[in-house]
Amino acid sequence: MISSFGYMTLALAFLLSFYGLVILIFGLIQESPAFFESARRALVLIFPLSTAGILVLVFLLLTDRFDVAYVYSVSSREMPAYLKLTALWGGQEGSLLFWSWLLSGFSLGFSSRKIRKESDLFPWAMLVAFILLIFFLGLNVFLATPFERFWHFTDGGRVLSVFQPRNAWTLTPGDGQGLNPLLRHPGMIWHPPALYLGFVGFLIPFGLAAATLITKRRDGRWIELSRTWILIAWVFLSLGLVLGMRWAYDVLGWGGYWGWDPVEIAALMPWLSATALIHTALLQKKANGFQRWNLSLIILTFGLVIFGTFITRSGVLSSVHTFAGSNIGPAMFVIMGITSIGGLGLLIYRWRDFGPSQEIEFGFSREVLTLFSNLVLLSILMVCFLGVVYPIFSDLLTGTQVTVGPAWYERITGPLFTLLLSLMGLCPLAAWGLTRLNKIRQGLTILLPLSLLVPLLIWLLGGVNNFYALAALWLAGLAAIVISWEYINAARKGLARPDGRLPGALWVPFRRNHRRYGGMLVHLGIVLMSLGIIGLEGLQQETQLRLERGESASIGAYQYTFEGIERFTEAETTTTQAVLTILYQGQPEGALYPSREVYSNLGMAVTIPGVKSNLSLDHYAILVDWQPELPDEATFRIFVNPLVNWLWIGSGVLTLGTIIAVLPKSRNGRL
Amino acid sequence: MTDEKKKGMSSNQLKFIISGGLFLIAVVILIISATRGTAEFFMTVEELQQSENELQGQNLRVSGAVLGESIYFDTQTGLLHFTIAHIPADEDLAKEEGELSKVLHQAVNDPDNSRLDVIYEGAKPDMLRHESQAILTGQLNSEGVFVAEELLLKCPSKYEEALPEQAE
Repeated sequence: MISSFGYMTLALAFLLSFYGLVILIFGLIQESPAFFESARRALVLIFPLSTAGILVLVFLLLTDRFDVAYVYSVSSREMPAYLKLTALWGGQEGSLLFWSWLLSGFSLGFSSRKIRKESDLFPWAMLVAFILLIFFLGLNVFLATPFERFWHFTDGGRVLSVFQPRNAWTLTPGDGQGLNPLLRHPGMIWHPPALYLGFVGFLIPFGLAAATLITKRRDGRWIELSRTWILIAWVFLSLGLVLGMRWAYDVLGWGGYWGWDPVEIAALMPWLSATALIHTALLQKKANGFQRWNLSLIILTFGLVIFGTFITRSGVLSSVHTFAGSNIGPAMFVIMGITSIGGLGLLIYRWRDFGPSQEIEFGFSREVLTLFSNLVLLSILMVCFLGVVYPIFSDLLTGTQVTVGPAWYERITGPLFTLLLSLMGLCPLAAWGLTRLNKIRQGLTILLPLSLLVPLLIWLLGGVNNFYALAALWLAGLAAIVISWEYINAARKGLARPDGRLPGALWVPFRRNHRRYGGMLVHLGIVLMSLGIIGLEGLQQETQLRLERGESASIGAYQYTFEGIERFTEAETTTTQAVLTILYQGQPEGALYPSREVYSNLGMAVTIPGVKSNLSLDHYAILVDWQPELPDEATFRIFVNPLVNWLWIGSGVLTLGTIIAVLPKSRNGRL
Repeated sequence: MTDEKKKGMSSNQLKFIISGGLFLIAVVILIISATRGTAEFFMTVEELQQSENELQGQNLRVSGAVLGESIYFDTQTGLLHFTIAHIPADEDLAKEEGELSKVLHQAVNDPDNSRLDVIYEGAKPDMLRHESQAILTGQLNSEGVFVAEELLLKCPSKYEEALPEQAE
């Protein structure tokens, strides 16, 4: 049977990773590179095998094979093909298989010629990959296999098993239970894979760092080899986070995008440490130091990745992400222990071998500001960690469990994120080494007054008078102006050349120094995203009230009129959809269609907000309550969410910037 | 950076340590003030009712099993009303999903169990239904009703409880 075939491929991949580990250790003891080659071949073979496994699962999902328990639990006949594909990571077993598949894919990176050339690092980095592969493929094979099928006996007994038990027949349910309705959203198609790519992408930097520590190699080669991988993982992690925000905004229907839920925090933490790493990696290159610091950061990042996977997949914490319980908690705990204790142990053991870095002089320089941004990022990380473990510790220390909620996180991280925003504005003004003062003076005399126009205009024209929001918008404006200024200056130099013409000159800064200007574009993306966050956190307006048909509610200059309600039934869902028209100063501005879908077969309902968005704000309405007996009355919650669109646009700019920064250089050192 | 060298610290290093230290102190102050202002005591329904008077005005977090029949949306006030029944502290529940659904079922069907009335301003969450676990953040009002500001729900999936039937 095809599902048994899928299971066999995974089992074979598991055995191969075991073989690889054993032969590799043997090779390391014997100091014989021939064994490394054999291990490398095993590593290369694992990927096609796990690919076959995952393709089998995709095939089972697409062909409605409900005799397979996983397919039964996450798919149903009515679901369109793209959702059936999404169901691959819609449940525990599938998403773990997806994880392992990505792991086996990224492991191929260790086999690349560049890494193989570092013959001292190469076997140890593979060792790390094998240990992780054994663990995750082991989960797929022994604890959470997606290939279990239903069987029944003549006496009516039923069992779950991968292979056919004696005297048992296949049991095929008529239809599956279907994907959790909350997951049926385009954001859910991309959010988990992007996040997982981000998570698993840190495998190569982590493996190389571990190998560096073991071999005491001090030339910083690992960070050169890791640079592209770190940036790629980082951008996927960023996109995964943003797509999750988008999903929350569109589906969870509370008008927000981020709830400081433990699982969200678990994904944010490796992002924070990886962001810190990207910045100090630059210092390692510039100042030839920070070896320990960077090694610590990558180990922290990967430890947090495993911690994040553990939190998401084990269901230990209550959150929007714990869709199902699981039995893999203890096993995940073990690998978490191995990676963090192993990594930390290596760091401590080799601490002295990666001696102190070249000293950096204190002052207004880019080095010092970079270090400071690291400190801020890690403080946010520390606050996040503290928030997650606070209940556990307060319980141990005082006997009462004290928990912290979104308000706590916002009050602490708000100022810290604002500080980061101002650092993004200041940093480009400082130079490597100590800054010549006239450069700053030029920046301050022109750009600072210019940036003050931003809050001033928003205050006068936008009618915004929230002081904190205005201050934050000013800092965002300053950062955007400084970044643009730097870019324009560089482009003008391109224009000054004899062959310099306008559209071409715009590309010159990127061609000259794609890392620097790619990085600045990433900063610009983050500044744009901050606009959306400032809009939602500081300037959101909302109202909740009951309207009769024809009645209206108003927020500021906007008027929302309840025009009526419609009900329609499709195969498995009944949708109740209301229509609210929007008037702005008497002029029509479109309509909102908040709705509520009831999935009769699952007994679940999903509230879908009606959203109409433009660059300055989103209208966002939720159908709170409606009774069939009173069809002409309904209760709505309406939000005006300023600037939200910039959150999504900024993430696009950030991605573009990262792509430019990782583009390979041609031989003459240009793009 | 903060390497304890035999020579002792240079004035340059000292500058780093002092400025970094000052920043960290500021963060710690921020944490302390936020904790004072917003930390919530996690209680069970029983504990809450034992010391009802002392707890008024405190930020609280409480978890309980939702009674399906009690869910009622008041169209006049726009408030959602429901009642939760006592369940044991959270850490005992973090075991298996099957366990949770049993605990919730028992809590709801035991008439001697402590119960707590809740009001919440906002949309009725999709997962608010009979025998779901509600985790509420808010305060007790003078009538002993819990005014929830945040509402988080957990539904044990019933999927794994029984194997499906063969289709005809």
